[in-house]
Amino acid sequence: MNGQAASTVFFYVFAAVSVALAVATVISRRILRAAVALMGVLATSAAFYVMLDAEFLAGVQILVYVGGIVILLVYAVMLTRSSELIEDRPSGRRRGAALAVSTLFFVAAAGAFVASRFETLRPGALTVSGTTEIGRRLLDQGSTGYVLPFELISLLLLSVLIGGVVIARTNPDKGEDAK
Amino acid sequence: MIEQLATMAPGPLHWLVLTALLFAIGTYGILTRRNAVGVLMAVELALNSGALNFVVFNRYVAPAGVDGQIMSIFVIAVAAAEVVVGMAIFVVLFRHRQTVDVTRMNRIRD
Repeated sequence: MNGQAASTVFFYVFAAVSVALAVATVISRRILRAAVALMGVLATSAAFYVMLDAEFLAGVQILVYVGGIVILLVYAVMLTRSSELIEDRPSGRRRGAALAVSTLFFVAAAGAFVASRFETLRPGALTVSGTTEIGRRLLDQGSTGYVLPFELISLLLLSVLIGGVVIARTNPDKGEDAK
Repeated sequence: MIEQLATMAPGPLHWLVLTALLFAIGTYGILTRRNAVGVLMAVELALNSGALNFVVFNRYVAPAGVDGQIMSIFVIAVAAAEVVVGMAIFVVLFRHRQTVDVTRMNRIRD
């Protein structure tokens, strides 16, 4: 009983913080502040993962998103000198159109959710911890395993690593940018 | 008070409305941002809400497995890959044009 009351309180507090920081991410005119707000949104998402019994994902979220992706975005901000500028406020027409599109999406999605019933299709509980089960399934070669996408993701990450270096490098021989 | 709060514990509907709201905010950012890095941040916001959705369905529709969580891991990996390539492209664009304003990206070459 107490646990459920606590989860209600945590859900609404974290949801309010998350939505407020998400709004700050998209409307802040200083891009570095937007990056810090994005970091906050991703950290509250880690809290959501804990509340949804996905402890391993919460760790991955902190390590990869907060510790990796946001740092890369900050590097991108600094390398493109965006931190020195204050971004122009978007025109009223653009803001109105964007607001209409996003509101329409939200109303349509929320309406569909309210009209649907979410039944538990595969009831039961895990017999081992979620982390153990994820590790087993990722390397399982059977029909319920995910070893092929797992290997494909590692190939994708390798090609992205090489591609990023090739795209961004300068050519020292010519003394100008690599085309 | 505590009994009342306990009956209001979040269900799948609450979680899905929250993630839809985060996705809508991300869409707004994608459509209004002028700085390309800002657009990338808004895309990250939308991707993050999608990954959260997989875990919500995992928790409430199929709690006996971890398939949703594994999908979320793949989403996070693809998001990381996307940011690396995006950042490399922005750095090259900035070197050539001294700006990353997406409203001025209507030419393919100089």
